[in-house]
Formats: sequence, C-alpha cells, structure tokens
Amino acid sequence: MGKGGKSRHNVASLAVPATLTVAGILFLPLLMLFRISFNQYDRYDLMIETFTLSNYTEILTDSFYRSVLLRTFEVAVLSTAVTLALAFPVAYFVARAPARWKSLLIILTIFPLFVGNMVRAAGWMAIMGNQGFLNQILLKMGLIGTPIEILYTPSAVFVGIVAVVLPFMILSLQSVIEGIDPNLELAASNLGAGPLMTFRHVILPLALPGVLAGTVLVFILCMNAYAMPVLLGGPRFHVMAPQVYQQITGQSNWPFGGALAFILMMTTLILTFVSTSVIQRQYRP
Amino acid sequence: MNWRTAVGFASDAASSGVLATSIWRFLYYFIVLSVFLFMFTPVIFVFWVSVFENAVITFPPRGYSLKWFSNAWAAGAFLDGFLTSVKIGLFAMIAGLALGIPASFALVRGRFPGREVLNTFLLSPLIVPGIVAGTAIYIYFIQLELWTGVRMISTLPGFVMAHVALTIPWTVRLVSSTLVGMNKSLEEAAMSLGARPLTTFTRVTLPTIRPGVFAAAIFSFIVSFTDLEMSLFLAGPGRTTLQIAMLQYLEWKFDPTIAAVSVVQILLIGACLLITDRFVKLSRIV
Repeated sequence: MGKGGKSRHNVASLAVPATLTVAGILFLPLLMLFRISFNQYDRYDLMIETFTLSNYTEILTDSFYRSVLLRTFEVAVLSTAVTLALAFPVAYFVARAPARWKSLLIILTIFPLFVGNMVRAAGWMAIMGNQGFLNQILLKMGLIGTPIEILYTPSAVFVGIVAVVLPFMILSLQSVIEGIDPNLELAASNLGAGPLMTFRHVILPLALPGVLAGTVLVFILCMNAYAMPVLLGGPRFHVMAPQVYQQITGQSNWPFGGALAFILMMTTLILTFVSTSVIQRQYRP
Repeated sequence: MNWRTAVGFASDAASSGVLATSIWRFLYYFIVLSVFLFMFTPVIFVFWVSVFENAVITFPPRGYSLKWFSNAWAAGAFLDGFLTSVKIGLFAMIAGLALGIPASFALVRGRFPGREVLNTFLLSPLIVPGIVAGTAIYIYFIQLELWTGVRMISTLPGFVMAHVALTIPWTVRLVSSTLVGMNKSLEEAAMSLGARPLTTFTRVTLPTIRPGVFAAAIFSFIVSFTDLEMSLFLAGPGRTTLQIAMLQYLEWKFDPTIAAVSVVQILLIGACLLITDRFVKLSRIV
C-alpha cells in the first residue's frame, strides 16, 4: 500500500473513527464544560444561561478558594522538588545498570505505577493510621506516650503523592540519561574533573530535557492529585481536584465547578505547551 | 559502568580523598535502595496486613489467617465492583484496539498534512487531568440523558465510552511504536510474491506488530481497571467499579478486608505486567 495518491488518502482515513471518538467523547464535553463555566449558578434553577466571568473572579478573589489554589500549588511544588532530587540518583543507577538488571529494575519501577492509587493509599493508611505501624513502633520504643496524628496531616499527603509520582520521574530521567555516552563521563574524569564537576558540567546539562519533561509531568500530576489528598489528607485538607468533584456532584454547582476544573486544566496545558516549546527550541539537534 | 561519576552526586573525589568518596558512594546506594523500598512500602504493608488474624490491626499481629480473603469475597460490593471493572476494562480495551490500531497505521504509514497534529490530538487524553475529563463527561452524559432519554450515568455503555478515551491513546502509543520499528520490505516482499493486500496484512503485518497490539491490550485493560477519577463521576448505586468501592470503604476505615482486596488487585496487575514483559520488553515501551 501507499504508492499512489489515492491509497495515501486511504491510509489517512483509517484515523477518522478514532479521531471522531476522541473528539466526541472528550473534546465536545470539554468545550461544553468550558461554556458552562461562564454560566450563573442559581439555587432553584441550578443554572442560568448567561455569559459572566464571575465564577473565575470568585475563585481568584474568595479567600477560601485562593487558599485552596495556593495549597495545591504548594503541595505540587514541594512534591515535585523532592521527587526530582530522589529520582535522579535512581534514574542514573537504572540507566547505567547492565542490560540484564535493567529490565528488572524497570519492571520494579513500573509496577508501583500501575498497581492503582487505592492500593497504595491503603498501604499508607496501614502505616500512618492512629493504630498504624509507625505509631505502634514509636509507642513501643517509648518515644511517644499516646498515638500522634500522622494520617490526615499535610505530611501524609506529601508522602503519598511523592510515592505516586516517583516512577514517572525516574522513567523520564532514565530514558534521557541512557542516551548520554558514558565515554563523555570518562573523558571528563580523565581530564581531571571530579564526580561533582562531571555531574554539573556533563550529566546535568545533557539530561536537562529529561529533567524538564519529568518535572512538568510530575508537577501536573501533583496539581491534579485526587486520591491521596482525599484518603490521606482527610476531610479538612482542601486541594483543587476534590473541590471540583465536590462542587459538581455535592453542590450541583456546575458553573463554579467547571471554572475550577478549567483553571486546573489551563495550568496543565500552559505548562505543557511552554515546556515542550522550550525543549524543542533549546535542544533540537 | 563508571562508578567514579556515579558516586559523585555531591562530592569532588579528586579533592576530598578516598574516605569521602566511599561515603558518597555509600550515600548513592543508600538513596537508590531507599527509593525502591519507599515505592514498595505500601504494597508490602498491604500484603502483610491482609493475613493478620485480628480485625483490629496491631503490630506485630496476634496471628495469621487467610479468612479476610473469603470475607472480602463475601462482602458483595467488592466482588460486584471487580466484575464490573473487568467487564468495562475488556470492552474498553476491545473498542480501543478497534479504533486505535487503524489510527496507528494512518499515523505511521500516512504522509498527509496535519499528521503531527493528529498524533498529538489522539494522545491528548493522556494529558487532560482525569478529574477534568471526568467532570466534562459527567455533565455531557447528563445533558445527553436529558435530550435523548437514554440513561448513560452508571451504566456499562457509559463507563465503556468514557474509558475508551483512555484506551485509544494507549493503543495508538504502543502500536505505532512497534509499527515504526517494523521493516516494510517484508510486506513488499509478500506483495511482490503475489499476496493480496488483505493476505499481506493478516499473514505478515499483523504477526509482526502482535507484541505491540498485545501490550496495548494489556495496558488498556490495566489503565481502565485502575481508573479512579473518571469512574468517580459515573459510578452510582447499583453500578460501581472496584476502585470506587475501595475508595468508599477507605474513606470510612482501613482493615484487613480492604488489604485482602488490594492484594488480589496487586497480583492481577503484577501478572498482567509480567505477561506483557514476555512479549515486549517493558523497558522499551513505557
């Protein structure tokens, strides 16, 4: 296939059903949600067709929602930074491991990624709960007299989120570090560079596209985290994703929930767009 | 392997001597090991707690028992959720393959304007946040129900439709990466020996891309099975996925029963990943 103009056309048409499906199942609904986010909520009619920016301005001016946004941002920045620091040595280790070990290490990295957030949340609850492993150990060691609150604190959410996003960061970094010729490191050290210098002037600059890609991906995942804040943060820990759910299903306030969802998504899209264009401009060979 | 560099995440060995070097080397291994342990900690604890004798969790446990597995089985919510999730996962997987495989051919073999854009478009569901996609689809389904009278929320077709948005991009990603690596002269050889296009496709093309298709099938299933955010909006009384059933339980309490459910899920997904790894090296596809 694929010689004449006609069959080239035929090949392209194979993508039509999938394209229509993605457009119809995801993009049409997103457009609708976007339109709804400019409507007005009404206690009796639920929604009044209009065009107002009030939902967006309320999110940005109301002190509660401003704090929710800020907290989400805080959690995401902190988790991303720590994840990057922890993932780099691991990614380097995996990338430079002998082939036989590498596939095992990759499976070990991928496995927690696909096992599901509910399973991981359950595991952390076993450790952090009032009757959990950590409290009982501390009690037995006599370090504390009564169980301390670990679960339902911001730290619990932080730990849970970092564990969720670590595999993504490791895989992003690993794939880039793998492409760095080990001879470059040898050359650097032959020329008298110590490990720190080699890392700063050889590995890090070459791994930067991976660092950027991994950081953006992980930051987005942290911003949108739902399960960990709900299960490990408890009912008083408020971040964006659970608020969206709450507004849509709990309050039936579609316009406001829609605006929250779009602020969340715009952050994602802008970041993705900016970072990919930076990567392409800086690092295209 | 160049350990001298590996060691040096923060130290300059040339100037700080052998002792410092071995300290940094130790630290490097320590971090690597700790991170892997950290990622596996929840999984390990779930396994452990699932065989505790007592419902009230104490460390160390008073004894071990497998009764929580039968307990979880007997608590209908988890079994119902499991069966629903398997059904949704299989249907969404099949639909995703049916739509995604032809699309992958178009993207890899076709030379038409806008190919790059189309590729980004078909993969884009992966970057739309789950909670936003879930919200949008929920509202869309409710509007559809109002217009057509056909029930969508908490029905099997509704779930499957929403999850296809997840299985299409995974199929496109995995199948097109095998297609890119495929040697086209195999097909040309078959055709020049007189095979018709359809024969060439079923006897040459399909067997060659089978690993990619297989990986796509399994990953689609896993992604659909473990989806939380989209299903959250679609679940309702009478039809709930396993993840939602687990979420509702965990919001209330953690005990060995939910640990047993988690273990079953871990084993299922672990088996899926190991089987996939036999067909395609996981290190090359994710």
